[in-house]
Amino acid sequence: MDYPEHLKYSNEHEWVAVDGTRARIGITDYAQDALGDVVFVSLPAVGTPVVAHGSCAEVESTKSVSEIYAPVSGEVVEVNAALETAPEQVNADPYGDGWIFAVELRDPAELDALMDAAAYRLMVEEA
Amino acid sequence: MAADLALADTVAAGGPPGLRGYRWSPPALTLGRFQSATDVDLDACARWGVEVVPRPTGGRALLHGGDLTYAVALPPPAGAAGTVDATYRWIAGGLVAGLALLGVEAAVACGIGPGSAVCLVTQQGADLRVGDRKVCGSAQVRRRGVVLQHGSILLERLDFDETDLVVGGGDRERLRRSTVTLGELGAPTDPRVVFAALVQGFREALDVDFRLR
Repeated sequence: MDYPEHLKYSNEHEWVAVDGTRARIGITDYAQDALGDVVFVSLPAVGTPVVAHGSCAEVESTKSVSEIYAPVSGEVVEVNAALETAPEQVNADPYGDGWIFAVELRDPAELDALMDAAAYRLMVEEA
Repeated sequence: MAADLALADTVAAGGPPGLRGYRWSPPALTLGRFQSATDVDLDACARWGVEVVPRPTGGRALLHGGDLTYAVALPPPAGAAGTVDATYRWIAGGLVAGLALLGVEAAVACGIGPGSAVCLVTQQGADLRVGDRKVCGSAQVRRRGVVLQHGSILLERLDFDETDLVVGGGDRERLRRSTVTLGELGAPTDPRVVFAALVQGFREALDVDFRLR
């Protein structure tokens, strides 16, 4: 299982890559493994406001639809449209080409509530 | 479907795990959450008196009418036991135990058959088979910390099937060869008897105190 050091993590198994006031978001290696083969990703629309811990996207894997939650609040400014035709990237490269959406942060202080890689690894391994 | 979601919402709000069983009248073709409506032959559905209903769960088109539909809602186990595949297998334990009470020796399917717009043509780990023929197809949605799984146990065949209702639904004989009903297995087909067996199977195999809805 991979836990990149430069990312922050939510307890709902999303990762966040921060660049100034913008955050790129996807699901973790643990999450993609738990879901199984992803066959469809329903992306939020650009411009959609999202609230931390609110549902903002869905993925389907082996006949199971799972919600994806926003780890931070803000406005969706970009989505990974490549997933519409290649949803398997969520499994193949969860921290890279499998990213799902990016938000303009509404309150950067919310990042303080997220976990670093060590804390997230501990949460996963103790579950 | 709305009642199934209400069941899941009740569990998400702190209620006990729920289990319900029901039949469809008139028959209905349910479509997976992200399945395109263009897969459906609406004229054929109207001809056969079949309603088209979207499902909150994944998967492909499934005809209800000759089946018993079950819905179970519960929080998934923590950790590795809570993955999609693991919860399918956990819940399958209840279904297998229930069917065994009816004299049906079912097993978890293991991913055979080509992709298709018709649920029953394909077998995955979410499904149950008797021999190599599918007897139960299931699908899930996970939201607010709850797994809602519903599925269809084939009791008897109707005069028509998915191949009449789905665009490119494939070959009727192939569908019939790849599926089997409880009636064809010589098992009870009374939905009340089947549901009672499922309830007992779920309670024994999952060790969960379900509230029946």
